[in-house]
This record gives sequence, C-alpha cells and structure tokens, in this order.
Amino acid sequence: MKRGLVILLATAALAVAQGDVSSEFQNAPQQPARNPPQPAPPQPAPAQPTGGGTPAKSGAQSGSNAGGSSFLGKDVPFFDPGSNIVTWDGKSWNISNNAIFEARFEKYLNAPPAVTSPETEYQAVLQHIMEKLSPGRITPRSTDEAFQLLAKASRYQEDANLCDSIANQVYSAWLSRKNNDRLNAAGKTLEDERKRLEWNARLTAEGNKLESSGSSGKSKEGAANDEQRQQQQLSREMQMQPILTRLAEITALIRANQLKRKVAELQVKIEFQSLIVQHFLQRRFQHALIGTRFYRSIFADGDSQLRVGEDAKNLFAKTSGLPPTMGTIDSLANEIMRDVREGVQAFKFLLEKNELQSATKRLAESFMIGEYLPAVRTLDRVDKRRALSFVQKSNQLISAIEVKDFALAEKLVAELNETAKDFDVSKPMAAIETAKQISAMHIAKARNAAVSGDKETLEAELKAATEIWPRNPALTEVSKMIFSQADVQSRALVDFDQLLSQKNYRQILDDKMRFIAATAMYPEKQGQLRKVLEDMQVIETSIIQAQEIEKRGDYAGAWESAEKAFRNFPDDNKLNQVRANLTTKAADFVHAIRQAEELEQKEQPGSSLSWYLKAQSEYPSSEFARQGVNRLTKQILPDAS
Amino acid sequence: MARRGKSSRLTLGIITALLLILAAFIGSRLFVTTTSEPFRTISSLDVRTYLENANSLRGNVYKIEGEVMNSLGWSPTQGRLIAVGVENGSEVVPVLVTTNFNHINIQKGQRFIFLLEVDNKGILRTKDMTKS
Repeated sequence: MKRGLVILLATAALAVAQGDVSSEFQNAPQQPARNPPQPAPPQPAPAQPTGGGTPAKSGAQSGSNAGGSSFLGKDVPFFDPGSNIVTWDGKSWNISNNAIFEARFEKYLNAPPAVTSPETEYQAVLQHIMEKLSPGRITPRSTDEAFQLLAKASRYQEDANLCDSIANQVYSAWLSRKNNDRLNAAGKTLEDERKRLEWNARLTAEGNKLESSGSSGKSKEGAANDEQRQQQQLSREMQMQPILTRLAEITALIRANQLKRKVAELQVKIEFQSLIVQHFLQRRFQHALIGTRFYRSIFADGDSQLRVGEDAKNLFAKTSGLPPTMGTIDSLANEIMRDVREGVQAFKFLLEKNELQSATKRLAESFMIGEYLPAVRTLDRVDKRRALSFVQKSNQLISAIEVKDFALAEKLVAELNETAKDFDVSKPMAAIETAKQISAMHIAKARNAAVSGDKETLEAELKAATEIWPRNPALTEVSKMIFSQADVQSRALVDFDQLLSQKNYRQILDDKMRFIAATAMYPEKQGQLRKVLEDMQVIETSIIQAQEIEKRGDYAGAWESAEKAFRNFPDDNKLNQVRANLTTKAADFVHAIRQAEELEQKEQPGSSLSWYLKAQSEYPSSEFARQGVNRLTKQILPDAS
Repeated sequence: MARRGKSSRLTLGIITALLLILAAFIGSRLFVTTTSEPFRTISSLDVRTYLENANSLRGNVYKIEGEVMNSLGWSPTQGRLIAVGVENGSEVVPVLVTTNFNHINIQKGQRFIFLLEVDNKGILRTKDMTKS
C-alpha cells in the first residue's frame, strides 16, 4: 500500500512537472501574496470573518469551483500495481511505458553521475541541515545555523532555489511569531487595564455598600436622607458606568487580538504546509524533510494537522489510511528515501547477475520515485549505460512489434535474450510467431491464386499478408515472383502480337507453350492463338500430305496439295519451300495451270480452257484443272447440263 | 549359163512389175486423197498462237483435224463443247460444235476435220466438220 502511494505520488509529481496541475495547489503559494503577514498593530485589528481552518477549506472550494476541476482532476488517481496502470481523470496509462517517462529516463541514463565537487558539497550541506534539525539535537541555535545553511544550499544549481523557498517560509513564520509576541504584549497591557478597571469598579461598588450600611441606624433622619442617598447612589452609578463600559471594550479587544493571533498563525501554517506538500509531490523528499523539521521547531504547539485542500489531504489519507499530518509526510519521505536506496542496491546486484530486465525495472522504479535523491543521482554511468542499452532495445522491440516489423523484432528478442538472462521472450515471441504464421498462410493462398490466375483472391490475400507483416521477406519474394511472371507474360504477349502482325505463324507454332501460358488470362488473344494453331495444323498436314504424294512420284499431285495450302497461307516459309521444290519437279503441269489461270483472269476462256485441258491431260486427277474446266465450261455454256 | 541369165531376167521383170503396181496404187491413193480433202484451201489453226492469245485470232476461220478427247458439256441452244486433241494429242483445244451438227454423232476417239471460226470470246465455234 505504501509503495502504491509512493508511485501514485510520483505520478502526480510527474503531472505537476508537466504543468498539468491547476487549481488549489498552484493557488496555495499565492495566498501569502494576497494576504501577506503583517506586523500586529498596537491597536486591535479588525476580527477575521472566519475561524481556524476555514480559510484553507474555503480557498480549496473556491479554487475547485472557479476552475471547474479540483487539484488532481475530478477524482483521486487510482494505481493498479498488477498492471502498472494509473487511472486519473478518466485517462489510463502505464507509468513506466509512456513517452515522457521514457524520455526522462533515457536522459537520466545518459547523464554523468552527480559526483562533482559542487554536487557533493550540496548533498553535504543538505545532510548538515537535516542533522542540525534532527529531533534529538535541535536547539534554537542549531535552528538558526540550519537557517543560515539554507542560503548556502540554495546557491547550488542542483537545488533550484528550493532551499530559498524554505528559508523564506521560515522567515515568514518567524515574523508571524514575532507579530504574535507583539499581540501578546498588547494583550497583556489590555489585561492589566482590564484588571485595573475591574478593581476600580469593585472599589466603587464596595464604597456604595459602606455608605449604605453607615446610614441605616438613623431611623428618624432616614426619610430625610433617602433622597440624599438616592442622589449619592445615582452619583456612584454615574461613576461606575464609564468604568464598566471601558471594561467591556477592553474585554472585546482582548478577544479580538486573541482571534487575530490565531488566524495569523493558522495562515502561516497553511503556507508552510503547502510548501512542504509541494516539495513532497515534486519528489524533493530531502527538502520536504527539512521543511517538516523547521515546521516543528517553529510551531512547537503540537498541532501538526495538515490544513491543505481536501484533495491533497485525501491523497495522503485515502492511500495510507492515516490522518494527514506533518508526521505522515515526514515518515513517508523517509520511507521513500529508504526504498530508493534499496532499489538502487537491487539494481546493482541484478546488474552483476546479468539480469538486465529486472535491474532496469528496479532502476526505473527508483528513478521514477527518487529522481532527485543522491542514491539515484550518483549512480555510475557505465552501469546506467548497460541499462540504457537494454531499455533502447526494449523500446525498439516494442516499436518493431507496433509497426509489425517482426523480422527486426525477432532479431531484437534474440539479442535481448542473449544480453539479459532474465528477459522473458515468451510474450514477444508469441506475438511474432503468430503474425508470421498467419502471414505465411495468406502468402500461400496468394501464391495459389497467382498460379490459378485468380487476381481478386491474389490481391485480397496479399493485402491481408501485408497488413499482418508489412516487411515480410517472403512477401517481397512473392511480389517479385508475381511481377516476374507478369513481366514474362507481358513480353510473351508483345511477341505474340508482333508475330501475328508479321503473319509469322510458324514462329508462334514453335513457341506455342509460351503463348498458351501468356494468353491464358486474355480470352481475345486466346482466340487469335487458337486460330493460328489451327491454321498451322492445316499447313503442316498439307506439307506432310505433299511429301507423301511426292514419295509416290506424283509430283503434280504433291504440288497441287502444297499449292492449295499455299493459297490460304502464302506467308509460311516452310510451305513455300516445299511448294517451290515441287514446282520444278512438275514444271509442265504447273506451267499449264498457271497459264490457264492467267488467261482466265484475262477473260480468254478459249485459251484458258485449252491450258486447263492440257494440265488435265498431264495430271488427270488434278482438282485445279477439273475445277477450271468446269468453271469455263459453265462460262461458255451457261445453260449446259 | 544361159539358164541362169534367163532366170535373172524373169525375176527382174517380176520385180519391175510389182513396183509398177505399187506405184500405181500409191499414185491412185494420193490422187484420191488430194482430191477428196474438203477444206484444203483453208489454213490450219496455229495452236501455239491460239494458246498464247486467242483474242488475236478472233473472226478468223481455220481448220483443224484431231481426235475427240472428251465431251465437256452440252447446251440445247448452243451445242456441244468437246475437247479435241491435235498435233498427235500433244495439244488439246476446246471446240464448240454448234446445234447445226446435232445430227453427227460425236464420240470419244473419233477423228474429225473441223472448219472453225474464232468467235469474240476466243472460242472455236464449228462452221463445218467432217470425219477424217
């Protein structure tokens, strides 16, 4: 519980350092400015309208109401030790894993140890002050000496003039006490006056009684003297009246001065307490201790109750379960200083054992609480650098996992595991392995989709794999493979188009596997390729047929077979070559056919028919000749049957 | 010696007689032939020229003698188109036998002498024909 309070206070102190604190706490030190302690006037001062303790309370309330928020937000901060999560004013954060803490911690780890001469002297002065104010040794003289040392301590840069603030507060308290002495002296004078008046009043009253008893024996003259007695009584009452009036006035003045003294003292107490609480929350526990000891020496009346705002009081009361007093602050400060010393010792021990994770955690805790304590400030830089290296790699690991760079994260985990024996690899490795497996599954699906040409699934799976592990090397490989495939495919498509425009169908046939694969996802080109391959099939069949006929010695028939294919596919080189060879072997027949066709085109059906008939006589089975004869016969005899 | 001389003369006489008979036969045949050819005043068709450019011969009348190679077609209005082998069958020309000669049977293998006119399309149109 105490550790929780410490961490909570440290967190609050961080917030104070960030300037997040508003309202009463910041207003508290300003109160002296609004109500500076004034020397007690010889005349009775006007009575304060409020009683003891009320100003602080009313100030807190007014501050809360005016600012719309209280000292620590709308509720008391809550710390969960199990998760290191602090909830405060509707927000939650990890106290050891936030940007401000990390920055301050890294700055500290890089800073040289505070072992220079001025820093050592400064710590010695503070220690000297605390020794002079320690409960067993404190005397008025030692208090004065400690007061003088405050001025010396404030000259050091490390002090940040905090000792000056304490000295000012002590001086104000002393002035207040001096004013109280004056008020006491004035009160004594008034008391003397009151006593004198009471005496006079008593004498006056007793004289009246004597005169009454002296005149009671003379009965005859009684009636005559009644009027005289009444006149004497009236005269004495007239003498008594001013005395009684003055007595009432003096009594009222005495009460007013007493009240004024109490109020002034209370005001000074509140200011002093506020300063001590502020130092405590700033984690300046040495200064808080010095403050409490000065406070006790000045206000030795035994009243050590805290009279700061309700929220500040709750901070101590609700977390420690004790009534908030100066003693609470004193003991907490001492306890924290001890805890920090132990934390630093634990850090050194764990460092020796090469257990960097625990060592760094202990140092971070000690730093968070006791940033300004000598045990933390004087830590060796070499040791801190080892912790820094671990912290940097840990932070890098967190960043790597956050940005899903699991390759780097895995490397860092290996490094951390090597350097820190106690590093827990289970959590990061679980996250890394899970992400890698899921990414691998998506990549496998993407590969399958790429092979099957399913672009939609390919894109979806690649996107999913990228979201899980953007820098996955396998992702790069798959992308390269897909792009390479796309490159080969696009090049093949370009080649196909080019060969198609050149009517180089034989080249397409020779490389048909490449073009079949390339045009798989393009139906239009697939159709063109199918046509080319079918035509080439016809050409090849014609060539084979011609060669077979040639083998039988039927050159005219072989030529005619090649010629028929040539007329449909005149650009095929192989067919051309076969046809050319056969032309020489069936020259007469070929000549007759060509002459016939030429003359037919020249509209000389007689001559043309003669050539066709000659060709037919050369090769009776000629289809060209037969068709030519039939055609021209029909031309000559349109009504022939 | 005398008998050998007598026999020689007889043989010579016989041979001479046979030669005379043969000469008479050939002469008679030659006479008959030359006097019986119907279109002997008409020039024969120059088949080479016809094959190269029939249009150049349009309007001319020629005669050819050849063997019927094939019947190409028959039109009731125009007649029969036949293929005729000429120059010992080395060349074949189409001949249109008009309806005027429907009474003549034309069969493959028959030889005919055709009197032909090259019409405006270069077709050899029969003006007359007779078996050779």
